[in-house]
Amino acid sequence: MFRRKRSEDDFAEEIRTHLELEADDLRQEGLNEEEARWKARRAFGNVRAAQERFYTSGRWIGLDRLLRDLRFGLRGLRQSPGFAAAAILTLALGVGANTAVFSVMDAVLLRSLPVSDPQRVVLLRTSRSPNNTGTIDSNATFSWPVYDALRHRGDALSQVIATGDLSSDKVGVRIDAEPETAEGDMVSGNFFSGLGVPLARGRGFTAQDEQDHTQTAVLSYNYWTRRFSRSPDVLGTTMFIKGVPFTIVGVAGPGFEGTEAGRSMDFWIPLQNRVEFNVLGNPPENGKLYQQDPTWWCLQLIARIAPGRTRAQALASVQPLFQRAAYVGLGAPMPHERIPVLSFADARDFPGFEEQYGKPLHALMALVALVLVIALTNVAMLLVARNAARQTEFSLRLALGAGRVKLLRQLLTESLLLVAAGGALAWCFALGATRTLARWALIESSLAPDRTVLLFALAVLALAALLFGLAPLRAATAGGAELSLRTSAAAARTDAGKTRFGKAIVSLQMALCVVLLVGAALLTRSLRNLENIPLGMNTDGLVVFGLNPQSLHSEPALVRFYQELQRRLRLLPGVESAAVMQERIGSWWSNNSNVMVDGHDPVLPAGAENLVRENDIGPDFFHTLQVPVLLGREFTDADNAGSQKVAIVSELFAKTFLPNQNPLGHQVNGLTIVGVVQNHKYRSMDEAPIPMAWWDYAQAPGEGGMNVEMRVRDDALAILPTVRKVVAQMDPNAPLIRPTLQRTQFEQTISQQILFARLAEFFGLLAVVLVATGLYGTLAYRVNLRTAEIGVRMAVGARRGQVVWMILRDSLWLTAVGVAVGVPLAMLAGRGLTSSLYGVQPLDALSYLLGVAGVAAVALAASAVPAARAASIDPLRALRTE
Amino acid sequence: MSTQDSNPDRIALLQGTLDLLILRTLLLGPCHGQGVARSIQRQSEEVFFVDHGSLYIALQRLEDKKWIRAKWGVSENNRRARFYYLTPKGREQLSDKTTEWQRLTRAVGLILDSGGKPQGEEV
Repeated sequence: MFRRKRSEDDFAEEIRTHLELEADDLRQEGLNEEEARWKARRAFGNVRAAQERFYTSGRWIGLDRLLRDLRFGLRGLRQSPGFAAAAILTLALGVGANTAVFSVMDAVLLRSLPVSDPQRVVLLRTSRSPNNTGTIDSNATFSWPVYDALRHRGDALSQVIATGDLSSDKVGVRIDAEPETAEGDMVSGNFFSGLGVPLARGRGFTAQDEQDHTQTAVLSYNYWTRRFSRSPDVLGTTMFIKGVPFTIVGVAGPGFEGTEAGRSMDFWIPLQNRVEFNVLGNPPENGKLYQQDPTWWCLQLIARIAPGRTRAQALASVQPLFQRAAYVGLGAPMPHERIPVLSFADARDFPGFEEQYGKPLHALMALVALVLVIALTNVAMLLVARNAARQTEFSLRLALGAGRVKLLRQLLTESLLLVAAGGALAWCFALGATRTLARWALIESSLAPDRTVLLFALAVLALAALLFGLAPLRAATAGGAELSLRTSAAAARTDAGKTRFGKAIVSLQMALCVVLLVGAALLTRSLRNLENIPLGMNTDGLVVFGLNPQSLHSEPALVRFYQELQRRLRLLPGVESAAVMQERIGSWWSNNSNVMVDGHDPVLPAGAENLVRENDIGPDFFHTLQVPVLLGREFTDADNAGSQKVAIVSELFAKTFLPNQNPLGHQVNGLTIVGVVQNHKYRSMDEAPIPMAWWDYAQAPGEGGMNVEMRVRDDALAILPTVRKVVAQMDPNAPLIRPTLQRTQFEQTISQQILFARLAEFFGLLAVVLVATGLYGTLAYRVNLRTAEIGVRMAVGARRGQVVWMILRDSLWLTAVGVAVGVPLAMLAGRGLTSSLYGVQPLDALSYLLGVAGVAAVALAASAVPAARAASIDPLRALRTE
Repeated sequence: MSTQDSNPDRIALLQGTLDLLILRTLLLGPCHGQGVARSIQRQSEEVFFVDHGSLYIALQRLEDKKWIRAKWGVSENNRRARFYYLTPKGREQLSDKTTEWQRLTRAVGLILDSGGKPQGEEV
């Protein structure tokens, strides 16, 4: 209890009553009115002392004092709202940015999978897969026989968990009437129990579920929340996945989003053995599904090391087993074949992201740290300036008997207030920034600042509080009580105006600002280069979406489906043309193969490789993309399963494999080349030109799932609801998969660079603003201190121009020092950025020029106001202050 | 001018005894602070001098401990006064403290009584 219910007024009232009652009694005893009053008062003793004792006995003094200090601090801050706002915002931006970047770094690089005892959980990796096998990831996927062999070695690996992708993308599901998309994995029966993932509702899977391939599903907590509003009735309901009914039996615990890097799973089902649920949705090869096909390495394996074994022991004991199992059904290894070697990787939440994002994130962290340093020094300087300006106030209070401890406590309270307000704001900022960062980094899993990050932020804040509390202390108490006795305010202040420290800080800030600006300029120029890469096609009004019709299982039916779809889409108002392709362009995916030209291995020019990126496409494809056909024709409806097998190749293909001849009529993989098209981009925006070839999907064994390109006039995405209706008429179970603009699709391949450049721009701008406020604050403060001096100078004949120059010279000098230190630092930083640059040298002169010019501009802008103020000082008034 | 009634026969209260005396006074019925002070002074035959300031602090302390509670009422001579009541908890405390006090005074009495005869010389 900090405060009792009874008020001080009530107590005072009681004492008043007491004095009256006592006086009454004394009067009765015969004293006269005045004597009675006086005696009653005397008998009571010190009334004020009693009230003070009442006041202090009922509360915790420390808290009371703290509250008083807080109130005092708040009043002080309210008196200088500009200072308070600048300090709080500076802190919020500095610390908030730091927290956000640290959150993402923590998630991507440090965090383990949210499973029980994650140190014992490992992801299985192999050095390679045996010859003549197909993989999804040649280092991370395994065949069924490998899974089957390893899972029976309980002495080394207590659990072996297998997962298989249902699709490289989302799959079509239907819960109500409307088809939707969701992301799901097919998993072994021990998935939840083996990983130690708790179930929020219902049950997980069992070995029986795996063996019987039961049509049951477990939802992720996230999906349950998002799609079902956490309805408890969800258990027992039916969900159609790829048109097959599954019963929902459980909901996984919060925070678990599956084991796939950077992907967030919506549901899991037990391993299936139906055609629709072959891994990745691929058609069975030679009539075999993944469980019967030892040549298809498509399962991801996770293991839990048996208790009492170390990783090395467990690995050693399963290695021979693995190497035997790898060749089950494949025959003996070839004579010189390198035998695959098994290894274990940490079960990180984002395995493999280390390589992709590790370096940029570290660089980002460095950028942010620079901003934080600038921000912290800025606030410290603001506080120093402010408190030095209050020197007379402090001196006066010291003279009146305030203890130094009390002043220290008050300074600390003030900085605590600033830090608390800044911290709260920083947290809000971090929440938003983390989400944005995750979206830019294309991480689908929900990232939020977590407890480690909170601790990190708090540590930074605590440091800040200490730093800010102590920094102004010296300036504040150095003067001592006698300062207030001096007659001249100006003279008193010049003593404390030891600004060499302040100058050093401003120069340091300028140097850091140069680094940030040069980095931002380099990355922005890279981004411009990337964005202006010609794609070789016209992406204006080009919309792309995926389809995976479930109802069709024969090739002719598929072809008829897409022909009909194309016909119906073309009829829609606003649609100019439409075409189908198997691999979506601009999505990092491609089919690659080596080709036979005219029946034999091609003779290649030096340095060229027999590698062709291929795609299955339908009629009107190049017309829709507006890629010029240089020779021959593109595919038409007349090309079908019964007609001559045809192919189209790119310019570069022709130049590489059929130099100096007309490629039309030549054979590639037994197909006749009927057209040559101009080079254009396939997988990503920044890819090097590669030979490409296209086959007609109507003539190639199709797998059902295709992507559709549409050229639309006006607002391209507005067509999607209409398209959805058209598709629903043809297949009610087929949703549009990831519909988007083709331009957006391509830009996702440079999202990392976009993210990086935008962040650098943001931080650069932030640094500029911070440095400007810092410099402005320092200069304004110094001009203030030199009011009298400037007055004297002007009185003895200095012209305004000279005074302005005196102030500007100060900041230009600081700028020069900052640039001199900053440029070498920027060169170092630029070298660190090399891998993130595109078409720009790390020593790009323009970027450095921009950086230096930026800092100079900031310095001039920040000095302009104080300089103008100095010039407008009225000499007489300035002298009168003496 | 003297600053205080200096009655040499009055003694200051021992630490902790004020609480006991307040509780004992309130056992007779609800009373306001000034009445308590007078009552203690009168009943001790004017031996105890109660510092009025301390009395109110003590009353507040007992109230915080919930041994007594208080209510504003009207005194016999029609003044608004704050009346204190003994709570059941206070009554319990009073009997405990009284026993304790009696044991203490008995023990002290025993020592003081025997203290007159030097023990070593009895042998």
